[in-house]
Amino acid sequence: MSKIARVSLPNAVAYRGGQPMIAWLLHRISAIGIVVFVSMHIWAAFFLYAVAGTTGGVAEALTEFYEALPMQVFVLFCILYHAINGLRIVILDMWPSLYRYNREAMWVQWAIFLPLFLLPAALMILGGS
Amino acid sequence: MAMTDAVLRRERTGSKFETYMWFFTRVSGILFLLMGAFNIIYANLAGGQGNMDVGAQMRWAFFPISFHVESSAVEVTPNFSNPFWQVYSFLLLAFTATHGYNGIRVILQDYVRYPLLLAWLKALLFLLWAGLILASIFLIFVFAG
Repeated sequence: MSKIARVSLPNAVAYRGGQPMIAWLLHRISAIGIVVFVSMHIWAAFFLYAVAGTTGGVAEALTEFYEALPMQVFVLFCILYHAINGLRIVILDMWPSLYRYNREAMWVQWAIFLPLFLLPAALMILGGS
Repeated sequence: MAMTDAVLRRERTGSKFETYMWFFTRVSGILFLLMGAFNIIYANLAGGQGNMDVGAQMRWAFFPISFHVESSAVEVTPNFSNPFWQVYSFLLLAFTATHGYNGIRVILQDYVRYPLLLAWLKALLFLLWAGLILASIFLIFVFAG
């Protein structure tokens, strides 16, 4: 039941939805990131332990990919952003009258998210693990 | 406007599947936050403090299964490897998979305009979801058990 919107790419990029648009976009990107990571992780573990030696190194390649530092930082970003933004969505769905404070809530959200993400990310990058 | 009303009315008389999944997404989302907090508090109370590095703490917080803490100095048995954690981590994974693959289905419905293609993609998603659950049953109950 998709509603068809014929928007050209330049128009789509020029659309200035502000904070809510960014939140919506990051929520979707982080959702896809988490699903890809979790699926990849479980299949790699399954191939590694259940059918070891028969997959031609697929499991090792997958493991090497998601254990690389950039992917780890990306996964941390996805999980933290999705969790905190999701909490805001749940709260607004339960108490719709709070929508008046949505703008403030989004700034509070950044204030919670950025330290929670940047400190471990800095430790991961500087610590090299 | 009239068309929007017609669409809304048709959706309202249909099945309640979308409503249930909307509700499930909210409830499971809250549940994941509570489970994550519980996991990390439990790990630190049950001997993890000082014995688990940051990586092991985060792996355990996101998904509590014994081989997520095996690389740390913490004693894995009996605190971190028993039927309770197996059932708990299976439920967490089943909820996560359902929450995640339902979300991918919603995203696909937004972008895929051809009903036949959408139906095939949904079937594929269902297979991936079921496969993920089966693989996790093997990993949690057969391999780690």
